[in-house]
Amino acid sequence: MNSTVIYNKSIATDVHFLLRLKWSEKKIPTPGQFVMVSVSDASTSLDPLLRRPFSVFDAGKGWIELLYRVVGRGTSLMSTLKKGDKVDVLGPLGKKFPTPKEKNKLIMVAGGIGIAPFYLLSKTLKNSKKDAVLFFGARTKVDARLSAPIKKLGIKVKVSTEDGSLGRAGYVTDAVLDFIEKDSVIYACGPMGMLKATAKLAKDAGVLCYVSLESSMACGIGVCLGCALKASEDVKKTKDKEYVLVCSEGPVFNSKDIEWEKL
Amino acid sequence: MGKVIKKSTKKTSTQLSVRLGTLELANPVITASGTFGYGLEFKAYMNIDNLGAIITKGLSLKPRKGNPGPRIVETPSGMINAIGLANIGVEAFINEKLPLLKKTKTKIIANIFGETVREYSELAKRLSDVEGVSALEINISCPNVKKGGMSFGTDPKEAARVVRAVRKATRLHVMTKLSPNVSDIKQMVRSVESAGTDSVSLINTIPAMAINAETKRPVLGNVMGGLSGPAIKPVALRMVYEAASVATVPLVGIGGITTAVDAIEFILAGASAVQIGTASFITPSASESVVSGLKEYVKKNGDIKKLIGALKV
Repeated sequence: MNSTVIYNKSIATDVHFLLRLKWSEKKIPTPGQFVMVSVSDASTSLDPLLRRPFSVFDAGKGWIELLYRVVGRGTSLMSTLKKGDKVDVLGPLGKKFPTPKEKNKLIMVAGGIGIAPFYLLSKTLKNSKKDAVLFFGARTKVDARLSAPIKKLGIKVKVSTEDGSLGRAGYVTDAVLDFIEKDSVIYACGPMGMLKATAKLAKDAGVLCYVSLESSMACGIGVCLGCALKASEDVKKTKDKEYVLVCSEGPVFNSKDIEWEKL
Repeated sequence: MGKVIKKSTKKTSTQLSVRLGTLELANPVITASGTFGYGLEFKAYMNIDNLGAIITKGLSLKPRKGNPGPRIVETPSGMINAIGLANIGVEAFINEKLPLLKKTKTKIIANIFGETVREYSELAKRLSDVEGVSALEINISCPNVKKGGMSFGTDPKEAARVVRAVRKATRLHVMTKLSPNVSDIKQMVRSVESAGTDSVSLINTIPAMAINAETKRPVLGNVMGGLSGPAIKPVALRMVYEAASVATVPLVGIGGITTAVDAIEFILAGASAVQIGTASFITPSASESVVSGLKEYVKKNGDIKKLIGALKV
């Protein structure tokens, strides 16, 4: 679908951008879903060829917002989009975060740009769930500013920075450890190393953990089979599957379904 | 007024139809194996009835799980994949997918591959027994599996052995998909023709790799994979053109086609039909757009069949 850029502005740092697009699809993205963005105009350029997947940061009637970090050619091109520009977007795609149950205390764990899906999730939480906590791992205190929009929603934010310039120094997962209770449920998105550590935390504590994963993908609709990740022994036994597809079976998975040692 | 429109639509549709020997297609646009799932996945994005034919994901006797990741990497104007022919197996295809898929008026072509000649032959037999499959495409050219696959596709004698076995096992139209990884494509064409293929499709992906200089590792889990997308179009055009100089059976052009103009280039080079591959990953309805583009083309320029091999050199 051809969407019009409403704005595309840097947020928090020079390399993080918030892109707001008009959205005319009937389906409004739900928390955890993603879209595939064509960063070059296919009628004039075949390079970069593939669409890029992005978590939906926020969405409403008639618009969506994507939070992204400039890391390569695709996102670099994206950062030059201006108000009124057209951009081709496919979605919403994939499975959403399950709605947290009343009895569970929600812990969100985000690393870097992995914070993207948690804004929409936080926004859609019922009032009774506003005691949720976001643990945010950032490199520096500048990057940590990305958590400001979620804090504004009234969610408690606990920051860890790798350089110790703000909040707790070190990995975000170390901060989570002391906080887990019996009825906690963890939702995590971020670098693979962080997710692996979070999955282990959850496993050791015996609590439910959902992770939003990423993988190189071409189509986003379950056809190219490019984004397959190794499934856990459990899934292998019960579903006779060796791989799961991040795009169509995910991007949100129960952390027990993934073979973390093979990633 | 209504009649006039009907007449012109009819004219357009005859002008767009092509014939691959015994196989009649409403138009020359076919979706390439491995890029269109089992067809049904695309119903949410386009009308699959508008295609000339749909080729299924490569089918083996038993289901295959595929290669460890990463399985794909983007390269300039292209991508390399090493999926490893993951598929649900021929029985699941027949029982779960085909009953729904055969409701389309579009012709269904089953892509098959085996590790031995016997496996190819068994697959051909099994798929000939069922209703809804119009043709078989023999994959002797996949670069991503250790056994079978491309080893059959690079040796003319081995290729002929597979084709002969499939030919014997089926009365369906047999299309043979060739690898670009040979020094003489003409010899391959002659060889599979003499073994009884009804048409030849080319090219499959080009063996390729990508390296991460930072990690000093190959990007793909399988180390090597197959390059596809617009990057390979000039190579594919050259190979179709060369194949056309000796072929007596119809050719089907594949390689980086994303628009109707690309399709016409392949038809001019000698292809009677084309396959849309990687383009469907980027825009799920890409194949349907190529059909629309060709429709516009024949409205202005007349029958598409007149273009086949019409390249002026």
